[in-house]
Amino acid sequence: MDEGLDFAVKYPFSDSARKSLGDIQLTERIVELAVERIRKAVRGDDSARVVFHESDKREEIASFAAARMILGHLRNSYLTNRFAINESKIVRGRINKEDERTVDAVAAQFGIASAVENGMMLLDLPTYLRYSVRDPHYKLINRKLFSGRVEINAEEKKRLVEEAVKKHIERIPTVKDPPDIIKNAGKQLVAEIPKTEVRMTVKAGDHPPCVMRLLESLKNHENLPHHARWFLAAYTLAIGMGEDDIVKLFAGAPDFSEKITRYQVSHIKKKGYSVPSCATVMSYGLCCAVCRIGSPINWHTLEKGRKDAINAEADNAAKG
Amino acid sequence: MQPRDRQALLKLFAAYYETADFRIPGLEQREFGIGNIRKIEARHLNFPNLQSFRGYLTNNTPFFVSHSTAYYEFPGATPIQKKAWKGADLVFDLDIHAEGKYGPYALLGQVKADLQRLVKDFIINDFGCRDVLVAFSGNRGYHVHVRDKAFLPLGGEERRELVDYVMGNGLNYRDFFSYSDKKQLLGPRPDEGGYRGRFARAAMELINSKPTAVSRVFSKEKERGFFLGGVRQGNWSKTSLKFDDLVGRLSPLAATLPVGSVNTDAGVTQDLSKLIRVPNSIHGETGLIAKIIEPGEVDRFEPLRDALVRSSERMKVRFVEGVPSLELGGETVGPFKTGDEKELPRPVAVFFVAKESATLL
Repeated sequence: MDEGLDFAVKYPFSDSARKSLGDIQLTERIVELAVERIRKAVRGDDSARVVFHESDKREEIASFAAARMILGHLRNSYLTNRFAINESKIVRGRINKEDERTVDAVAAQFGIASAVENGMMLLDLPTYLRYSVRDPHYKLINRKLFSGRVEINAEEKKRLVEEAVKKHIERIPTVKDPPDIIKNAGKQLVAEIPKTEVRMTVKAGDHPPCVMRLLESLKNHENLPHHARWFLAAYTLAIGMGEDDIVKLFAGAPDFSEKITRYQVSHIKKKGYSVPSCATVMSYGLCCAVCRIGSPINWHTLEKGRKDAINAEADNAAKG
Repeated sequence: MQPRDRQALLKLFAAYYETADFRIPGLEQREFGIGNIRKIEARHLNFPNLQSFRGYLTNNTPFFVSHSTAYYEFPGATPIQKKAWKGADLVFDLDIHAEGKYGPYALLGQVKADLQRLVKDFIINDFGCRDVLVAFSGNRGYHVHVRDKAFLPLGGEERRELVDYVMGNGLNYRDFFSYSDKKQLLGPRPDEGGYRGRFARAAMELINSKPTAVSRVFSKEKERGFFLGGVRQGNWSKTSLKFDDLVGRLSPLAATLPVGSVNTDAGVTQDLSKLIRVPNSIHGETGLIAKIIEPGEVDRFEPLRDALVRSSERMKVRFVEGVPSLELGGETVGPFKTGDEKELPRPVAVFFVAKESATLL
């Protein structure tokens, strides 16, 4: 289905966008727009750009494709993740203003096809699993399931689309030997990456496997769900880490904001929240080993041999 | 195990493999693994068709043979990243842990009850899966292979979510309840999907069949009927019990809803490159067939009767350790003491030799 040029500008990952590009040539102007698009993501500016002329619209669509080429060439997880988050937020802002038919057209790009039956909006289970975020609200155990279909509402559908956009962009195909203007744009962007030093002086065994995994994710600039950040903050406070050091720990997050992080860490400290138990960590979907210690904090009372055994077993399970 | 015993068992296994009924969709896209002492000593094997797989088993008969749950573009390539993963069956592994070499066998009935709930209530009713194959594991549990195309592309995290669901991880039944503006206790309705509906149905059934298990007040038919009428509409207030008290009394019921014996320690379900015993192959530690159980036959299936390789021959063995009495091959055998020399039906003898409790004479 072709939804027209305006749809393609707003949703540049769509089939309509691909079609509208035709055999458009990569120009300096397009690459410039692409670089600016990625810079916006690094700044965390999720305002949507508005264009009026038809040729501008085509360039705008092409700038998304060019940005993907740059990122596919760079394979820089920081830039890719920032870009994925920012673009998905922009899309979310847009679909919030759309009618249901248009939301469905965007959703259809990712195979998200909900059906209404007996007044319930239902989505097939595999698609739901693919695009639901790791959050207790979306945990299957708390959902209504009807022979392979999950009940969702209109708001949740938009959240799934947002996640689908993010996942789509994160899975950027490698671009082996791009044109020189793409290579140069890439060099320029890498040089501009803010130098936030991530303090990671932890060794395997310093923390339980679930915490180590989160730290590893931050190091790789992966985006952590809210509950994971909350858990990590509560845990690091409980083992006596200073607020400044904790804030620095989160600097690896692709959507890092020092102000927000500092506020939230000190809020958790002020409220004196305790570290969630292993059962709670498991319900967040963050447990990745069999320690049998009841609470992640009890890791520090284990003997070294026991820690090594747990780590070895978790490694094995991960490798199969 | 004595080399002589080993040779004899392998000869019997080889004969079985000549006509064994294998059902391995996408066989040529799967990786195979074999082992003799350990379960997997060599992997990355692959076969172009069933005939060549069967030929391998009859000529180089192993004690254990597994195939990947995954389908690959290049199943024989190494390392694993080069195989090009295309999808994987969704598998669940149910097993029982019990003390002693023969401890688990008495408990297999419990696992079967879990298996039935897992397949019917969870995999078919809740998940809506089609194309489900159930097999005995060959030792102390069962494997469920879901080969429904819609589920093959799922990643590890997504499969983990399904495991959490069947195991009830993160289930808090108190969250099912809330208060309305009129201070009514609102709760799940029996016709709802997922755990909510399952909880409501289980509560209604318990109150109908054993009212006093929840509270004495439900032994009066009028009070019971009034209450259950409300529950059908999602209104749990039609009772003289205090609401907190009522919800608290239902706690033991909530604990019975998940399937407990799904093996998650080894990460079987979420592991995308897992090798799993080939259904209808022989488990070398028991000599039992990892038997495919036809739909509708699970009820009647008794592993220690139905998973033996049939034979009318008998074999003489000497026991090298004491063995408790067991239901095996449809009759009670044993107990046996160290040094006992017995002539036993071949499948029974094979079982004890494979378990290394006896040696052939």
